[in-house]
Amino acid sequence: MADVLTAVEGAAAYTKEAVQKRSANEPQWLKSRRAEAWRAWEELPLPTTELEEWRYTEVSRLSWDQVELADPAKNTASADAATGILAGREASARVVQAGASIISIELDEALAKKGVLLLDMSKAADEYGELIEKYLGTQAVPANHSKFSALNGALWTAGIFLYVPRGVRIDAPIRVARYIDQPGLAYMPRTLIVAEDASSFGFVEEMVSPDMEGTTFVNGVVEIIAATSANVQYVAMQQWGKGVKHLSTQRTVAARDANLDSLIVNLGADVARVDLAASLEGPGSRSDMLGLYFAKGNQHFDHNTRQDHRVPHAQSDLLYKGALDDAAHAVFRGIIKVFPKAQRTDAYQTNRNLLLSKDANSTSLPNLEIEADDVRCSHAATVGQLDEEELFYIMSRGIPRNIAERLVVFGFFGEVLERLPMPGVVEELREAIGRKLV
Amino acid sequence: MPENETIAGLGLEEYKYGFVTEDKPVFKARPGLDEEIVRQISAHKNEPEWMLNFRLKALKIFEAKPMPTWGGDLSRLGETLDELYYYIKPQERLERSWDDVPQEIKDTFEKLGIPEAERKVLAGVGAQYESEMVYHSLKKEWEEKGVIFESIEDGLRLYPDLFREYFGTVVPPQDNKFAALNSAVWSGGSFVYIPKGVTVDIPLQAYFRVNAERMGQFERTLIIVDEGANAQYIEGCTAPSYSTDSFHSGVIEIIVKPNARFRYVTIQNWSHNMYNLVTQRALVHDGAHMEWLDGNLGSKLTMKYPSCYLVGKGAHGEILSIAYASDGQHQDTGGKVVHAAPETTSRIISKSISKGTGRSTYRGLCKIYEGADNAKSNVECDALLLNDTSRTDTFPYIEIEEQSASVGHEATVSKIGEEQLFYLMSRGLSEEEASAMIVRGFIEPIAKLLPLEYAVELNRLIELEMEGSVG
Repeated sequence: MADVLTAVEGAAAYTKEAVQKRSANEPQWLKSRRAEAWRAWEELPLPTTELEEWRYTEVSRLSWDQVELADPAKNTASADAATGILAGREASARVVQAGASIISIELDEALAKKGVLLLDMSKAADEYGELIEKYLGTQAVPANHSKFSALNGALWTAGIFLYVPRGVRIDAPIRVARYIDQPGLAYMPRTLIVAEDASSFGFVEEMVSPDMEGTTFVNGVVEIIAATSANVQYVAMQQWGKGVKHLSTQRTVAARDANLDSLIVNLGADVARVDLAASLEGPGSRSDMLGLYFAKGNQHFDHNTRQDHRVPHAQSDLLYKGALDDAAHAVFRGIIKVFPKAQRTDAYQTNRNLLLSKDANSTSLPNLEIEADDVRCSHAATVGQLDEEELFYIMSRGIPRNIAERLVVFGFFGEVLERLPMPGVVEELREAIGRKLV
Repeated sequence: MPENETIAGLGLEEYKYGFVTEDKPVFKARPGLDEEIVRQISAHKNEPEWMLNFRLKALKIFEAKPMPTWGGDLSRLGETLDELYYYIKPQERLERSWDDVPQEIKDTFEKLGIPEAERKVLAGVGAQYESEMVYHSLKKEWEEKGVIFESIEDGLRLYPDLFREYFGTVVPPQDNKFAALNSAVWSGGSFVYIPKGVTVDIPLQAYFRVNAERMGQFERTLIIVDEGANAQYIEGCTAPSYSTDSFHSGVIEIIVKPNARFRYVTIQNWSHNMYNLVTQRALVHDGAHMEWLDGNLGSKLTMKYPSCYLVGKGAHGEILSIAYASDGQHQDTGGKVVHAAPETTSRIISKSISKGTGRSTYRGLCKIYEGADNAKSNVECDALLLNDTSRTDTFPYIEIEEQSASVGHEATVSKIGEEQLFYLMSRGLSEEEASAMIVRGFIEPIAKLLPLEYAVELNRLIELEMEGSVG
C-alpha cells in the first residue's frame, strides 16, 4: 500500500486542480462527473503484477507518471499530418484530433438531417447535455471501472460523441484520426458511441504518431452502447510511433438482438495494453471480437478481454491472432464468464500466436468461468512458428524465402481480416501489416 | 470372487468408507503446530540432525508464506489448521507381516479390501493409518531384483545416502506454503527405488487411511526410477466423515532417470470434510517417460496439479486427470508441464464432471523455456455440467519463450446433449441409464488407461453417482 501511495504522489501531472481546469467551462453535471472519477482515481490502488490481470505487465512500463498532462490549448500537432491520415478513405463522416483536441468534424449532410450527432464531447456538453449525461461513464465504463479509466474519466480531452438514432443505417464507415506529435505528455482521448434501436454503422478509429524521442502516455477510454437490434462494427487501429505507451479501456454493451462487433489492431507503440470487455446484456445479442497484433523489436502488447454473458441466448466469438518478431512479447488473457442464469450461451475464444524469431515470447491465458449448464463454450490457444511445409510449397514455385514468409504471415492474419465486413478497411490493414513486414 | 469386487474395497464406491474405528494410538501430539510439535515428530522417528534442521527451517517458511488467495476457498482453513492433530502414531513399529498389525487397524484395512488386493494383483503394498505406515511389504521376486519399497522413514534409516541425495530436490520447502508445511511435519509415505533396467510389471500400491477426527495427514513419498527401469505406483485414500474438517497435504517427489518409464496413479476418494492440498512433481530426464493419472472424486476441496519438469532431451510427460465434483465439492485440479530441454513433448488431458452444486476447475501451466527446441505440448480439457447449479472453470497458463515450440490448448464445456439422450432413450434406455452411459463415454479416454479393475470400479462409481441426478 505504501508503494502505491508513493507512486501516485510521483504523478505530479495529475491533480485536482488540473481536473477543475479541464471542466472550467463545462456544465455542472460534467464537472461533478469528472470530480467523481477523480475520487475513484485517488481511491483505487495502482495495479501490480500480483493481480492476475496485470501479471505480465509492470504498470510502470506505461510511464504514466513520467509525463506532463497535455493541455488542449497549448499542445497541438500538425493539422496537415492529422488530416492527411483520412485522405482518400471512404467515409460518411470524419473526425480529426490533433494534439489534445479535436480540430475538425465533417458529417454527411443527409445523415445530420436524419438526426445523427457527431460531436466534440466537451463543447457539446451544454447543448446535448441530457443525452451525453445519460451515457457518459454510466453504462459502459463507470468511474470506478478501473484505476486508469478513472483517470481518463477525470481528465479526458478530445472526446468524441456519436449518436445514431433509431433505424438509421449508415453505409460508409465513420472515420476518426487521432494524431499526436509532441512527446513527454499524457493524452486522454475518449470515445462514446450510442447506437439506437435497429441502427447500423461502422466506426473506425486510427491512432497515429511519428516516432518520438521521449516517452508519451496515451490513456484512452471507449464506450459503445448498442440498443435493441442495433448493428455496430467498431475498429481500433493503433499505429503509434516509438516512444508511445498505449493503454485503452474499452467496453461494449449489447442489448437484445444487437450485434456489436469489434476489431482491435495493435501494430505501434512501445507498450500497448488493451482492456476490452464485451457485455452481452440482452437475449439474442451477439459480439464478434477480433484482434490482430504484430509486434517487433522490444514491443510489448498485453490484451485483456472479457466476454460477460449475463442473460440467456447470447453469443460471443473471439479470435485474436498475433505475429511476434525480434524480442517482442505478447500477452493474451481472455475470460468467458457465463453467469448462472445465462442458459443457451454460445461463447468461443481463440488465440493464435506465430513466433517469427528466437527471442520472441508469447503468453496465452484463455479462461472459462461457467456457472450455467446448458451452454456451448470452448476456447483454444496455440503458439507455433512458420510451417516449413507451407514455406517449402511456396518456395518450390520459385518464390524466395523472405517473400514466402511474408505470404504465410499474410495468410495467418487473413482468417481475422476476412471476418471484417469492411473491404476498404481490410485493404488498409493489409497495407499497414505489409509496411511492418519488411 | 470376481476381480472387480476385490478392488471394490479400494475406495471407489459410493461413500461407504465413512466408518470410524475405535483404536488406541501409542502417541497423539496435542492439537496445533509449533516448534515443539516438530521436534516431537522428529524425536519419535529417531531422525538424524540434518532432517530435524530441515523440518525446522521448513516450519519457518510455512509460517512466513501467506495463505494462497487463488484456487479454492481457504478462508476457513486457518481455523482448521489451528485445531488439527499434526501427528498421531497408531502403533509402535511398522509391520512386515499382516498378522502383526493391531486387530482394529487390520479390520479397517480388511474392510477396505487391502490384503486381498495385494495377494491378487499387486507387487507390493504399503498401508498408512493416521501418521504412520503400519504395514509395508514387497513380494520377494521384486526384492531379489533390487527393488526398494519401504516406508519413507525406513528409506531414510536404511538408505541414508540415496535418500539424502534426492529428498527435497524436486519439491523444495519454499515451493509453496503447503509443501513447506509438509516438509516440517511429514510422516509416512513411501520410499521407492527401481534399479537400472528393472521392469516391475504389476503395480506397487500405497493406501492412505485417516481415522481420527481433526486429523492432519502429511505423507511424503520419494520415488527414484533408475535408467531404463519401468514401474507403476497406485495410491488410494479414504477417511471417515466427520462434521469438522480434516486436512491432507502430501508431497510426492519423483525422479525418472534417462529412458525410464513411470506411471503414478491416484484415486482420491477422501470423505467430503477433507481439505486435500497436494504437491506432486516429477523430474523427467533424457528420453524418459512420466505419466500422472489423477482421479479426484472425494474431498471437500482439492487443489492439486501434478507436474512434469522435462529436464532431459526427448523427455515426455503426460497428465491425465479426471475430476468429479458433486454437491459442496470443489475440485481445483489440472497439471503443469515445464519444458526445459529440446525435443521434449507433453500432453494433458483433463475431463471433469460437475454435479449439483459441485464445482470443478482446471488450472494448468504449459511453460516452454528458451532453448527447449522443438518442444511440443498439447492440452485438452473437457467439462461436463449436469445441473444448472453446477460450475466449471478453465484457467490455463501458456508461457512460450521458444520459437520452434508448438503448443495447442483446447477446452470445451457442455451439458449432456439432448440428441444423445434422445437417441439412447429411443433404444429403450431410461434417462438415468442413458446419462450414465454418456458420462462413461465422456471419461472413457482416461478410464481405459487405468488398470482394468480400477476402470471397472470408476465406471461403477460414476453410475452410482448418477443415480437420482436426472429430473
